[in-house]
Amino acid sequence: MLAATNRFDLARIAQFPALYGTLVGLIALIVLLLCVGKVPLAYNVRNLIVRWRTSLMMVIAFILVVGLMTMMMAFVNGMIALTANSGQPGNVVVFSGGANDEGFSNLALTEVTNVERTEGIAVNAEGQRLASKEVYVIANQDVPVGPGQKPRRAFVQVRGLEDPLITSTVHNLRLKPGGLWFSAAGVEEATSPDVPGGAYVQAVVGNGIAGELGMSSPEKRPLVVGETFFMADRLWKIVGILDSTGSTYDSEVWAKRQIVAERFGKDVYSSFVVRATEIDQAEKLAETLKDSKEVALTAMTEEQYFVNLQATSRVLLYAVLLVAVIMAVGGIFGVMNTMFAAISQRIKDIGVLRILGYARGHVLISFLLESMILALVGGIAGCFVGMLVDGWTAKSTVGSGPGAAKLVVLQFVVSQEVLAGGLVLALVMGLIGGLLPALRAMRMRVLETLR
Amino acid sequence: MAEAEAIVRVNGVHKYFTRGSERVDVLQGLSLSVPNGEFLALMGPSGSGKTTLLNLIAGLDTPSSGEVWIGSDLISKMSESQLATWRTRNVGFIFQFYHLLAVLTAYENVELPLLLLSMSAAERKQRVLTALDLVGLSDRLHHRPGQLSGGQQQRVGIARAIVTDPTLIVADEPTGDLDAKSADDILHLMGELQRELQKTIIMVTHDPKAAERAGRTLHLEKGKLVHEERRSKATAS
Amino acid sequence: MFQLTRLIIKNLRRNVLRTVLTALGTMVLVLAVTSVWSVLDFIDNQTADKANDFKILISDKNNAQGRLPRSYMESMRRGAARGSDDVVPDDYMTWAFYGGTLDPTKSSRENFLFLIACEPEKAPTMLDDLDQLGTADTARLNAAIEKMRKQPNGIIMGHEQLKLMNKEVGGRITVNGLTFKGLNLEFEIVDTFPKSAQRYGQTSIMNIEYLFQGIDEYDAKNKTKLASGVAPIAFEMLKVKNRQDYERLAAQIVNSPLYTSPAVRCESGGSAVSTFLASWKDIFWGMRWLLSPAILVTLSLVIANAISISVRERHQEIAVLKVLGFRPGQVMFLILGEAMLIGMVSGLISAGFTILFVNKFVGGIPIPIAWFDRFFIPQVALLWGLGIGGVTAFLGSILPAWSARGVRVADVFAKVT
Repeated sequence: MLAATNRFDLARIAQFPALYGTLVGLIALIVLLLCVGKVPLAYNVRNLIVRWRTSLMMVIAFILVVGLMTMMMAFVNGMIALTANSGQPGNVVVFSGGANDEGFSNLALTEVTNVERTEGIAVNAEGQRLASKEVYVIANQDVPVGPGQKPRRAFVQVRGLEDPLITSTVHNLRLKPGGLWFSAAGVEEATSPDVPGGAYVQAVVGNGIAGELGMSSPEKRPLVVGETFFMADRLWKIVGILDSTGSTYDSEVWAKRQIVAERFGKDVYSSFVVRATEIDQAEKLAETLKDSKEVALTAMTEEQYFVNLQATSRVLLYAVLLVAVIMAVGGIFGVMNTMFAAISQRIKDIGVLRILGYARGHVLISFLLESMILALVGGIAGCFVGMLVDGWTAKSTVGSGPGAAKLVVLQFVVSQEVLAGGLVLALVMGLIGGLLPALRAMRMRVLETLR
Repeated sequence: MAEAEAIVRVNGVHKYFTRGSERVDVLQGLSLSVPNGEFLALMGPSGSGKTTLLNLIAGLDTPSSGEVWIGSDLISKMSESQLATWRTRNVGFIFQFYHLLAVLTAYENVELPLLLLSMSAAERKQRVLTALDLVGLSDRLHHRPGQLSGGQQQRVGIARAIVTDPTLIVADEPTGDLDAKSADDILHLMGELQRELQKTIIMVTHDPKAAERAGRTLHLEKGKLVHEERRSKATAS
Repeated sequence: MFQLTRLIIKNLRRNVLRTVLTALGTMVLVLAVTSVWSVLDFIDNQTADKANDFKILISDKNNAQGRLPRSYMESMRRGAARGSDDVVPDDYMTWAFYGGTLDPTKSSRENFLFLIACEPEKAPTMLDDLDQLGTADTARLNAAIEKMRKQPNGIIMGHEQLKLMNKEVGGRITVNGLTFKGLNLEFEIVDTFPKSAQRYGQTSIMNIEYLFQGIDEYDAKNKTKLASGVAPIAFEMLKVKNRQDYERLAAQIVNSPLYTSPAVRCESGGSAVSTFLASWKDIFWGMRWLLSPAILVTLSLVIANAISISVRERHQEIAVLKVLGFRPGQVMFLILGEAMLIGMVSGLISAGFTILFVNKFVGGIPIPIAWFDRFFIPQVALLWGLGIGGVTAFLGSILPAWSARGVRVADVFAKVT
């Protein structure tokens, strides 16, 4: 399956033997060194304690590097989790020909009447085709500001739907208890004369955006069913809240398509999302839609679409890794300094050990273990610090390129892979930073050390 | 007769170093034999080669030419790693500045050489305790070197030297860093080792009083043996 | 003072390995901070309104991707000024976006061309940084613009885009419209943006009148209006002298009866950019308040570590200096000076290297944030490098220096003898 082979996420990187393999390898190395080494470990541990100031400084440096890397990875992980959870297997998304994202896609209402009759689209119990016809708009919402402040606006993603029941089935999203879908008219008459246009626009909102919209209110709490917000010269009334945490729809406002079209001047569809009869038929359905003679269409499985949206995450992931590597290299120089100093301070110890019959290898192992212990302690502490961010939320963008982006609220995910990555980074720093000094200690000539 | 029992045999040993383009001869065709159980002192002015000779006998260095036999081992032909293994089993070292590892306790310092030998933990413990008992430090097992006096530290050094039950004990100025009283105690202890445990001891010193404790004193000058003194066992005690 | 400085340099030369390791660690970490700060600095610059170069954007009020009709254009260029009391903008530029693919069957990157449709003669004054070019580059840009005026289908393309599409200056291309679906246009590449305009490597501009002409021809030929052609303008950009003029102009435009369907919004350039970057705010926050401080503290620790090791090793020597009559302050100066010399020199070298490496060799930090695709290291980074190196070294060495200051002669010699 194309979607599977092109899929990109951290879980997959983790399955790639590199990460866990490296971690297991590094830990195995420590265990091996402990077994082969003859110089008592207490010698290294007590020396680290005796030089506690330098040790502490290095441990803090490790905590900073590893903790920061863990946090950043958890952020990227959260972005990836969002896109990974938003696509439904068996779904196919359809855009206008040439467009790869709904932001660029315009399907005239008249030219797509036959799309939902395409062979291979699933049907629900009522005999309706599972084809969600949607228009996607990024709305400007004026943000209330204090007197004298510059007027501000925020972007709100609005999705107009023909039939919310079909759409929710296709996207496999439910309302949180106590909510309703908007009516066929999509509006609700207002009794108060102050309501612009004499009616409320009925809206179903994502759990995340309910929080965002509430933050600009005086009470700074998430909006609930029955409350309103102002946007595009109308009052929008929340009739339901989507149970959408962890998906990109979490940051969207859903309303009746006709109302959205009228309010934002966009009387077209952005996309069709259709459900194939069988999950493994999605590819075929996409091909059939692409070959439509009537109108030029772009079609792909929804999973593929969301994989494409990981492009931003991928760039950020590389940036995070690059920053982590740069910081680690800086840290390695620090470790080297510490270990070189430790060795020149303990030249006589090395000499005594060698005279007593300890081999060069024993000396190497002893000092290498010392820097790896330092790294392990710092790395574990760094992971604990990094774990603090688990569950934090932050705003971000997922997208496949400039312009094709979704604004999302994500949750930091400190996964096993992230922690494994942090430990690998720490141990690699300890290994590289300790190796050169340990080699120097090993190469020392016995008679010279005691002079 | 002495030849037959000799534990240390040094035959025509030369040792030179190159300093820049200049060759410095430290030992020039030196021969020596030490019978089993002898307490031998090496004396001589600095630069006479006494420490170099000691290093050759202890397997810390190899001669430029000539042979060094310890028992039936020709150590002058051994590789570095062979020498290391050999040293652990056959030589105990006592240094002027004790050279104990500062972060380890007296017990742990004495235990160090045993960690290289295969033996049970119980046996190891027994040996360490015996060695420390022998030097009179049974009540200082868990003290670190910093918490011990110079004399006590040197006793730990001696315990470490004998714990492997080596054939040979070498000592480089063992009293050089001690006050007269402590030095006397240490020399007395070494004498006991030789007499009661039949250890062969080779000691470098420039202190005539220390040398008096030895059964024989060899004087070196410019890399050659120039003079030999023997003392009766009675004077040594 | 001179003698002390000589002593500092001598000390640094004594443990060359440690000096080099510390310097390398400093350089690597300064590189990281400089890069992060460059991104933040650029973003801060974009979201701030320049006092003497106040830009205003007029766009659809409610729909962030909405378009404005051509009928708005003339009046918008005048800032909707009617009476003689009204503010008239100093300059204007009308923006539309025309994007499409050279091969409709393959929508790959090297086939995709995105053009800013505008009045080309406005580019030097209304596009950022193009007024900062050298004389030769300015002349070349003006010549290219002149060509575009004579040749409506002329375009100026970024040199990276040109390379990506494997085209040459003078080449002709046909683009199958995507932003204006059904509108296919032919272009001739008249020149590239000068390479010194670093941020324009992937930017291309076309005549907006050529776009309008294409829409009209489409409507005439097909006897029906091109759906997306009715309202083709993305936004109008105006320039005024100062904030007062901006506020008056904004009121003038928002209250104008000319713009009702759709209604328009009027905001400063900085505010508009801020809105687009809002979803990146948390990332910027993290870069500013977590990443940068963490790198700086790590750097301080690396230096502190090196210096405290060196102080510990030199206790005896410091005692000798004191015996020779050095005052505690001078000893402290020695240690601080040593740290700061390494820090500042490595910081400066690192920043210089970063500027060269990132700007010339890598061609900018390639992180696509909104429509910015890469970030360059500003020249001021040299000062950052010097400052970061100096300050972190100072902070890192203050404690070790204090302890060196307090070294007691008697204690040291008691240990030795």
